[in-house]
Amino acid sequence: MRCSLVTELAPVTCAGCGILCDDVTVQRAGDGVRLQPPCSLGEEWFCERVRWAANAPAAMIHGQPANIEAALTRAAELLRGARRPLLHGFDGATVEDTRAAVALADRLGALVVTGGVRGAWPGAPAVPLRGASTATLGEIRDRSRLVVIWREDPATTHPRLLDRLGFGARAGRRHGQRTLAVVDDRDTATARRADLQLSWARERDLEALSALHVLQRGLALPASELEAELGGLLERIHAVPHAAFVHGPGLGDGAGGQRRVLALHELVRALCLDRHVVTLALPTAAGITGARDVLTWQTGYAQNIDLASGHPELVTATGPLATSEGVDVSLCIEGAVSELPDGVTKIALCSRPVGGVEVSIRTAAAGVEAAGTLHRLDGVPLTLQATLPGDAPKAAALLSRLLAEIGS
Amino acid sequence: MTALRIRGGQVHDPANNVDGEVRDVCVQDGQVVAEVGPNARQIDASGMVVMPGGVDIHAHIAGPKVNAARKLSPDERRDDPLDRTELLRSGTGGLVPSTFATGYRYSLLGYTTVVEAAAPPLAARHVLSELRDTPMIDKAFLILMGNNQVLFELIRESGGAVSPRLRDAVAWWLEATGGYGVKLVNPGGVELWKQSNGHIDSLDDEVAGFGVTPRQVLEAIGGAVHELGLPHPVHVHANNLGLAGNADTTLDTMRTLAGRQAHFAHLQFHSYGGKPGGQPRSRAPELLEFLNRHPEITADVGQVMFGPAVTTTADAQVSARLRDLTNGKWINHDTEVETGCGIVPYTYKAGNYVHALQWGIGLELFLLGQDPWQVMLSTDHPNGGSFLSYPKLIRLLMDRAYREDQMGRANQRAIRHTALPDGLDREYTLNEIAIITRAAPARRLGLRDKGHLGIGADADVTIYHDRADREEMFATPRYVIKGGELAVEDGDLRRADDGLLLSSHAAFDPDVSRVLAPLFEERYTVAFEHYPVRDPVLREPARVVEAAG
Repeated sequence: MRCSLVTELAPVTCAGCGILCDDVTVQRAGDGVRLQPPCSLGEEWFCERVRWAANAPAAMIHGQPANIEAALTRAAELLRGARRPLLHGFDGATVEDTRAAVALADRLGALVVTGGVRGAWPGAPAVPLRGASTATLGEIRDRSRLVVIWREDPATTHPRLLDRLGFGARAGRRHGQRTLAVVDDRDTATARRADLQLSWARERDLEALSALHVLQRGLALPASELEAELGGLLERIHAVPHAAFVHGPGLGDGAGGQRRVLALHELVRALCLDRHVVTLALPTAAGITGARDVLTWQTGYAQNIDLASGHPELVTATGPLATSEGVDVSLCIEGAVSELPDGVTKIALCSRPVGGVEVSIRTAAAGVEAAGTLHRLDGVPLTLQATLPGDAPKAAALLSRLLAEIGS
Repeated sequence: MTALRIRGGQVHDPANNVDGEVRDVCVQDGQVVAEVGPNARQIDASGMVVMPGGVDIHAHIAGPKVNAARKLSPDERRDDPLDRTELLRSGTGGLVPSTFATGYRYSLLGYTTVVEAAAPPLAARHVLSELRDTPMIDKAFLILMGNNQVLFELIRESGGAVSPRLRDAVAWWLEATGGYGVKLVNPGGVELWKQSNGHIDSLDDEVAGFGVTPRQVLEAIGGAVHELGLPHPVHVHANNLGLAGNADTTLDTMRTLAGRQAHFAHLQFHSYGGKPGGQPRSRAPELLEFLNRHPEITADVGQVMFGPAVTTTADAQVSARLRDLTNGKWINHDTEVETGCGIVPYTYKAGNYVHALQWGIGLELFLLGQDPWQVMLSTDHPNGGSFLSYPKLIRLLMDRAYREDQMGRANQRAIRHTALPDGLDREYTLNEIAIITRAAPARRLGLRDKGHLGIGADADVTIYHDRADREEMFATPRYVIKGGELAVEDGDLRRADDGLLLSSHAAFDPDVSRVLAPLFEERYTVAFEHYPVRDPVLREPARVVEAAG
């Protein structure tokens, strides 16, 4: 990976994924960077942002370079005239960015979406229905003697997760023998590191989770070829005082996803009656956990809200949001603009280069050009450091400017 | 800033021995002053009651625990929206309102200062971010230290004594987080619960793997806070909350801390007789008797109010019990090294023996207590009920006929097990209400500029119509002045104000970092150098109260 970082930085916080490793030494290595501890995703993340900082224009209108003031004015015009504005993205947004975004959305009466705006709706969120048992990374590392990774491949998507959970160099530091189990029918990097792999098709996850719950309650299971595998997993859980389940989009995405997540939480709840069992959710991007926390404290709702009525309302659409809600103007904050249909007029405040938008302003990437706060995947808030001098504005500052322009 | 004369009100300022005198209160540049010029704005308060702004010594309004409670209950806030205006942000209410709604509603109730009573230090950035979005009120937070494995190591090292190293570590933690004071929740017990779903039977039980006991934790950290001279003494949520027979533990905890300053949180939940596993009885009179003999110890009540509540606590084993009792929603979150967290929505029913007993015990604590400076008003919001129920609670204390009517609706077997039916005819005066809702909490928090209307005090003033219906009176102040500016008039917010962050500072030897760093490396998944909150945007605007030590 080629980039032009000129200094050695240590230790800094990497926002390449939701783990937010804050023990990272960044060293120049030829035209690229090397991270210690090693992480290819983190190296790519740093290099990309350094490259964007060097190459991307400060602002664009209609695909033509523009100055930031003109771009802000145009963005404000579009938002002021919007019939159904949408704010979305937040993949790399800081807490400060999201606070400013929700303030703007409040003024606009906009939709705010912290998840995907395209694709099948996974159903009503699971946590408000029954709750959840969760823990920070250190709790899982130091107590859970069995960790079950459910249809995720963190060795690829969150490369240091297994190490951070104690399955690397520091394995067994305090609690002796530990088991890494993977539920997945794919041959993944994580599965190859596992002590145990349970393999069935994704379509059977709800059945498997429900069956585990039935077995946990001491009831007989209808004849099923999964019985042996499930019984074995349950035995392993019963053999330890602490266990953890790691899950993510592999379980929760797509139609019926939240039913599957609910089944997992119900199972964990039942297991908690005589032991300590927790879950850890893998977010799709580093900024999402903090964005949802901000949305919750400012509005009361965690994921998708509509402020059009003058107050926050939970969006419970069953189809892709952008189309079902008739969005005409979108403002993407540190996310992927490409998720939206062509008919939507798009504005982007992003550190990454974006195409196909009416207005874009390049922002300072948190953790490279700007400091900021993110919430780790387990909720722990961490500060990202500015590691590269730059003059791009933070998204939060631009959002506050837009709020001032629209409010005046 | 505004110069203001509040003219001719009936002033209740117990900290300055003013009990209902009709007089003027003058305000300039955010402070109470002796006099203002003739051009000062005037508020005619004749026939009205004037008090310092309310001070809530124990509530749960911000941080990951409170936010998790919001996530758990979108349904209960759907019907309580708060519309945006030109001045105000939108939000949602319910038992755990969004941050803006929390600030606005406290202000509309006449409160100007609120303490978030249990924040994991590891989550300080989150707490501070939420508090920044909680407008209108000044706010502080207490950091959880009763189950901190690093502090356990230092306590074991010192044999349970207060060592300079421990003292420095406590001061370091306050500095690192922006916290105001120190909270101990079920000391040692949360760690045991996280280890093995275990619990504390005795203050001398050992916390497995750490070689310390709850009593040592109380003595060492309580002693460190005392020796540091922090403005607020150690704030204790004792072991065995909610269990029948827990009054023994509470009394033992009080005896352990006697001779040092200490504040006991939500004492009602810790005042139960009976046998473990059996039906509770009231032992509130015994606890009050202890308080009478120990003026160095104070408490807030944690009154339960009949109706819905959300139990949100760092004492996660309590939540696990409520989970099993209700089979309802439940959140558990284990925070490495430091604490636990549990959340269960809960409804207190008048007809239920235990709930009615809890209600009655809370009233006993208020009505049998001899010194209102020692027993302060709280519902442990939202655990015993919302802070919005304070006016109703005040009416229960001030209006005997209303109280008896409410008693008549409660489970009679429970009521008979309290002192309430025994001709308990006390009615709180307005001055006593001013003590338990502002003067005493401010004094106990060490906030010298708050809770009173003497010269130099913060110009936080609440003006009420003097209505016979005390609930209505305290629910709808006529005016609220915050920092010298008119914040509320006739039930409407007149300005948006950020409010201050209140934090405390005690000197410490910076070399304590050399002791803490390797312990952090061993136990935390956050680097030691990244743990302290340094971001000015999170820590300002702040008022730092210096320790006396």
